[in-house]
Amino acid sequence: MAPQRTFELHGIALTGVHQHGVHTGAELAERLTQHQGSQYGPLPVGSALSELFPSGGLERGHIYGCRGDASLSLLCALIARATQAGSWVATINLFSLGLMSAREHGVALQRLLCVDAGTQSTTWTQVVGACVDGLDVVVVYAPQCSLHDARRIEARLKTHGSVLIIVGDPGVFSPAVVLSSHTTRWEFSTHASHRDVDVVATGRRVHNRRQCTLSFPAHSQHMEHVNI
Amino acid sequence: MSRTIAVVFPHWEKDHGRFGEHHSFRSFEPIVRRISEICAVVEVVEAGTVVMAAKGPSRYFGGDANVAHTLSDACDNKEDVVGVGIADSRFAAIAAARLAASRKSPCVISSSITTEFIDALPVQALSEINNIDVGTVDLLLRLGLVRCGDVRHLGEAALIDRFGLTGHHIFQLVSAQEIYGFSLDAPPSDFSCVYESDTPLVSVSHVVEASHCTFEEMMHRIDASGQQCVRVLIHCETDHGESMSRIWGESRGFTTSALAQRLSYQLDGWFVHCGDDLDAPTSGIVRVCMTPVECREALATQAVLWGGNEENTERAARAVAQMCAIDDCVRVTVPQWEGGRDITTAYSQVLAHTVDITQSQHSAVRVGATKNHTEKWSGSLPVPWPAWVASQPIDINIVDADQHHVGVTGRHELTSTPVSVEMGRLHYHIEKVGGPWPVEERWWDPRRARRHVRAQLLVRNAQGATRVFLVVLENNVWKLIARYD
Repeated sequence: MAPQRTFELHGIALTGVHQHGVHTGAELAERLTQHQGSQYGPLPVGSALSELFPSGGLERGHIYGCRGDASLSLLCALIARATQAGSWVATINLFSLGLMSAREHGVALQRLLCVDAGTQSTTWTQVVGACVDGLDVVVVYAPQCSLHDARRIEARLKTHGSVLIIVGDPGVFSPAVVLSSHTTRWEFSTHASHRDVDVVATGRRVHNRRQCTLSFPAHSQHMEHVNI
Repeated sequence: MSRTIAVVFPHWEKDHGRFGEHHSFRSFEPIVRRISEICAVVEVVEAGTVVMAAKGPSRYFGGDANVAHTLSDACDNKEDVVGVGIADSRFAAIAAARLAASRKSPCVISSSITTEFIDALPVQALSEINNIDVGTVDLLLRLGLVRCGDVRHLGEAALIDRFGLTGHHIFQLVSAQEIYGFSLDAPPSDFSCVYESDTPLVSVSHVVEASHCTFEEMMHRIDASGQQCVRVLIHCETDHGESMSRIWGESRGFTTSALAQRLSYQLDGWFVHCGDDLDAPTSGIVRVCMTPVECREALATQAVLWGGNEENTERAARAVAQMCAIDDCVRVTVPQWEGGRDITTAYSQVLAHTVDITQSQHSAVRVGATKNHTEKWSGSLPVPWPAWVASQPIDINIVDADQHHVGVTGRHELTSTPVSVEMGRLHYHIEKVGGPWPVEERWWDPRRARRHVRAQLLVRNAQGATRVFLVVLENNVWKLIARYD
């Protein structure tokens, strides 16, 4: 008989979880660790943001929403570690992303594709489909497709293990996790130098509302984990 | 054997290559244009090395020594070391040019002593000049073969027996034969293709983009016959009949994106450096002709085990090809570092199919990842950088308490205290102002001079949310150019 061990994951003691041959929290935690270490594990995010996600990163095959008054900075912070680790990112119809800011956040710009998909809904769907097939992270702004096409894209995401991030209004898509950003404080003496941003994660993949405070620029990031 | 002239700048890569291949080729272009005034068709082997046939120019200028001196004078720009060499094969000519660079006088190797000259060269020259694998050269050294003459005395059969196709190449090099990889069954000119445009194209990117499909088809035909193109002649014509030809070489074999890159280098030089040129183009391009002048049997390349092309990159390249095939209106671009203090032009976008995104080293140089960005441009913005940059600047108005327009004086001070920002129907209350920071660009050139003032505004909207705007005042009009989202 396997020895009973207690294991803590993100501060939660795991006990008595019954799921497909997993009987103890320790076994579940081990399985999660194995999953994270494998090639098909979640895409890594910065240490400050990882606590927002139950699996510690962007889970493959899921849709994430990114909104609020610091949505683009939050997006850069989200994708930075993944691009550094070798994942490719495509931004579709997101023409106003500041590339200097992206580089400042640590995004590896050599793995960034900027796509102009035009204004037609059919072309947009095909472009997103091609991106989902070939790239790890796809970022879209103002999705323009029918509910039927949205379901097909979701199914394709699951098959290929890519991550779709929607900036702004998700439209017909239903994101698994929505990250809402809100700037609480700007440090502004002679120029804007520093700010604090509250990020709240909600959605069906987040058990409780998770919240953290980020500091941009990121050199002095601190993090607090609140379960409400 | 064919008499060949080589012009070599031995330190070109070291001096000009630090900003990437693109910059290196572009700065080399004026020199190539000066050489092509002396010799009609020149071949750019790489940035810093040009090869051409000696027969025509030598007869015109009255001998090898005369043409060598003429070329040497034409290429001397007082900054870079240059060497001109003439010999009986490309290999010998480039070696002679390197020797000439160290001697600082042209080096002409007559036909009678070319064999002795090559015999005396160290075997390392094989890898330095002609891309023979470093491992093979190392093996030759360990076998005690120090000079090229030692290798030649081994005989062709022994070299082929030990090194296969490479051995054959080595023997051709050391015995002053030209390497021609022509296949007898398919003359290379069969692959040539022409792109013709009804309207003259005046921008380099338009020509490259428009002719891309034609060249892609040509590459497919070459691929289908199991060959790869290693030298190509690109000939461009304008609407007024001016033309420009150049041969480009790529020892690893051209890909479509590499061809597009060479075409853009060639046109860049022609269009950009046309200040007081007599044969500068006076109209747009209407015809581009590509003739592969040397094709060889396609050699399989073995991906390296570590640090080679990653699977992710291969998948991304396939996705790019797939997206481009969906519709003409779909544009896939990749960022390219340009520098400067202007946030909207610090990165430009280049079409993904005209650069080779699978070369991770080149990509890193392209986006400026290898640079040290701690040193900033004078007049650049303080960090952090704005995450939202307007693709089209938005007209706004900044007013003071009396609803008067706020301007900037000649001493770069605001005329009154700004109170609110009007953006269409939206109103923001200004809490703090950073700046104004004046920017004067190209003040020495009245046509391109630009003078404006930038400022940061900490604003609060009606709901009480704070935001930071980056605004610019030019010609007394305020525009919103970026937001710190």
